[in-house]
Amino acid sequence: MLAIRFTRISAAAFVALGSAILLGDGPAQAQDVLKVGAPLPLTGPLSPEGLKQKRGYDLWAEAANAKGGIKAGGKTYKVEIIYTDYASNTPRAVQSAERMITEDKVQFLFAPFGSGATKAASAISEKYRIPMLAPSASSQEIFDRGFKYIFSTLTGNETVSEPIAKLVAAKSKNIKRVAVLARNDLFPLAVAQEFEKAVKAQGMEVVTSERYTIGAMDHSAAVTKMRSANPDWVYASGYINDLILIRKQMNDLGLKAQVITMIAGPAYAEFANTVGPLAENITSMSWWHPAVRYKGADVFGSTEAFNAAYAKKYGGEADYIEAGSAACGAILQMAIEKAGTIEPTKVRDAIAATDADTFYGHARFNAGGQINALQPPVFQLVGGKPVLLWPDAIKTGELRLMPK
Amino acid sequence: MIYLQIAANGLVLGGLYACIAVGFSLVWGVLNVINILHGSFIVLGSYVALFAYSYLGIHPFISTVIAGAVLYALGYALQAGIINRVVMAPVLITLTLTFGLDLILNNAMLAAFTADYQAVNLAHPLGVVQLGPVFLPGDRLAAMVLALLLTMLLYRLLRDSRIGRAIVAVRMDRDAAALMGVEVPRINAITFAAGAFMAGAAGALLSIIFPISPLNGPLFLGKAFVVCVLGGLGSVPGAMLGGLVLGVVESFSSYWFGPEHAVTLSFALLLVLLFVRPSGLMGRRGYE
Repeated sequence: MLAIRFTRISAAAFVALGSAILLGDGPAQAQDVLKVGAPLPLTGPLSPEGLKQKRGYDLWAEAANAKGGIKAGGKTYKVEIIYTDYASNTPRAVQSAERMITEDKVQFLFAPFGSGATKAASAISEKYRIPMLAPSASSQEIFDRGFKYIFSTLTGNETVSEPIAKLVAAKSKNIKRVAVLARNDLFPLAVAQEFEKAVKAQGMEVVTSERYTIGAMDHSAAVTKMRSANPDWVYASGYINDLILIRKQMNDLGLKAQVITMIAGPAYAEFANTVGPLAENITSMSWWHPAVRYKGADVFGSTEAFNAAYAKKYGGEADYIEAGSAACGAILQMAIEKAGTIEPTKVRDAIAATDADTFYGHARFNAGGQINALQPPVFQLVGGKPVLLWPDAIKTGELRLMPK
Repeated sequence: MIYLQIAANGLVLGGLYACIAVGFSLVWGVLNVINILHGSFIVLGSYVALFAYSYLGIHPFISTVIAGAVLYALGYALQAGIINRVVMAPVLITLTLTFGLDLILNNAMLAAFTADYQAVNLAHPLGVVQLGPVFLPGDRLAAMVLALLLTMLLYRLLRDSRIGRAIVAVRMDRDAAALMGVEVPRINAITFAAGAFMAGAAGALLSIIFPISPLNGPLFLGKAFVVCVLGGLGSVPGAMLGGLVLGVVESFSSYWFGPEHAVTLSFALLLVLLFVRPSGLMGRRGYE
C-alpha cells in the first residue's frame, strides 16, 4: 500500500514537473521547489500515528500546490515533501533528519512523531539551523532548552490537564480519590504528572500512581492495585493500543469509577470502534477538534474549508494530529510568504514572530517555540461519538458521571 | 486477600503465555529451527478469528480450529517448500530464513489489514466471575482453559499417535529415526505445521483479549522466546510450566515493584535460571 502510494505520488510529481517543462506554463521560475523533510514512523508500533502526520502534510502540500505554490521574493515554489520511514525507531529518526539536510538538501523539516523523537531530532535541526515544525510534541522538556529552531503546534501538557480537573471538581464534590496509570514514556509520563498537579490543585488526592513499560501486554497487577485503592476517578495515559487493553482489563477486573479519563487515543475514531461499548463516557482531551470554528489567513482559510478538504481526500473527519500536521505546513507557508525568502534562518524569525489566525486556531509561539494561543477541547465519548464539554464557546453537552 | 487476586491474574496470564509459546517450543525443540514467524502466525490467527466473527458471526472459540487449520496449511507449505531445503544447516541459517519470511508475512499483513488496532467485541461476553474478593474475567479464563486443553491434546498426540512418536523420534535422533524408516522431511513439515496450528489457535483465542495488529507479532515472539528458555525446549509440559511461572512472576513483581520493573525482573530471573539450570525447568528430562 505504502509503496504504491509513494510511487503514485512520485509519478504525479513527475507528470506535473514534465508538463510544466513541456508546456512552459507559468512564469519562468515556476519549477523552483521548496523541499521539506519529514522523517516518519511509517512502519512499526507508531505507524498509525505516523500515517496520520503524513495525511496532514500531504493535504497541506496539495492545497499549497493547487493554489500555485508558495510565493516568496518574486519566485513561486512548488512544495515537495521528502519522506523517510524510521520504523518507529527513534535513533533512526535522528539519522534520517540529518541525512535529509545533508544529502537531500531540504530547507525545512517536519518533526517525527511524539515528544520523545521530536526532542531527539531537534538536536539536528538546531545544529544545522533548519526550522522544524512539530505536530505531535507537547512536553515541556523539548522547549525549555533555549533551542531556536523547533516549533510545536501543541500547547503544553498543563493545558490538557487543568481544564478537565476544574470541570470535574465543579461537577461533583464527591470526586476526591484519583488513580493514575501512565506509560513510562516521555509524553505519557509528563502529561500524567501535569494531571496529578492539576487534580491536587483542586483539592483531590492521588491514591495510586503506577507506570507501565512500553510494549506492556498486561495491566492486571496495576489495575488490581488501583481497584484496592477505591478511586473515584481513573486516569490512564499512553497510546491507543495501551489504552484499549487497559480499558478491557479494567472491565475484566471490576475496576469502576465515576470518571474515566484516557489520553491520547479516544481522540481517534478507531478508539471508539475498537473498544465498543466500553468506550462509553470516557473523557479525554485533544488539542483540536473538527467542531472548532476558526477563520484564518492560511492556505485553507477556515476550519470548515479544512474539514471539507480532508473529507474530500480521505473521507471522515480529521483528528488533532492530522489537523496539527496540516497546520505545520500552513504556518510554515505563511512565514515564508511573510519573510519573502526561503532562507531558513530568516523564515525561522518569521515563524517565531507569527501572530495570526489559522484554520487550526490562533498561532503564536512562546520563546521556547511552543504554540500558546490554543484552548485544547475536553470531550466525552457518548454513543461512540465525542461530545464537547469545554471550552464553553463550542460546548455540545455536559459532563456525565458513571455509576460506581 | 489482594494476593489471591494477584496470583489469579498471574495464572490466567501465564496460561495465555503458555499457549503463545507451545508451538514455538515444539518447532525449536524438534527441528532446531528458531521460528521468527511465530509472532506473525499468532497475529494471522487473530485476523482469521476477527474476520470469521465480523463477517460470519463465528465465535472466536470456534475459530480456533479454523485459524489453526489455515495456519497448518500455511506452515506445511512453508516447511515443505522452503525451510526443508536448509533445515540441516546451522541454526543461524534457518533463523535468517524465517526472519526474512516474517518480514514478508508481517508487511503483507500491514498492507492488507493496515496497522490500525482492531478488536473482537463479543456481543455476549462471558462477564466477570467473582469468587469472594477475586475477580476472574470470564473470557480470559475460558480462553486460557481452551488453550490448556489444546496443549494437552498436542501432548497426548505426541505421545500416543504414530506420527507423534515419529516426531519425538526425530527430536531424539534424526539419523536413527531416518534409519528406522521415518520420512524425516515429511515429519519436519508436519511438526512445523503443528507449531503453526498452535500459533493460529492461540491467535484466535487471544483475539478477544489483545488489540489486533501486525505490530503485536514481535511482542508475542518475545514472550514465546522467554517462556521456552524458561521451561525447556521442545517440551510441552515445559512450555506450560514456563508460561505459568512467567505470568505469576510478572504479576507479583508488577504489584510489588511497579509494572515498569516487571519485565526487568522476569529477565533477571531468566538469567539466574540459565546459570543454575541451563536446560530450563523441564528441559532434557525426557522427550514427551
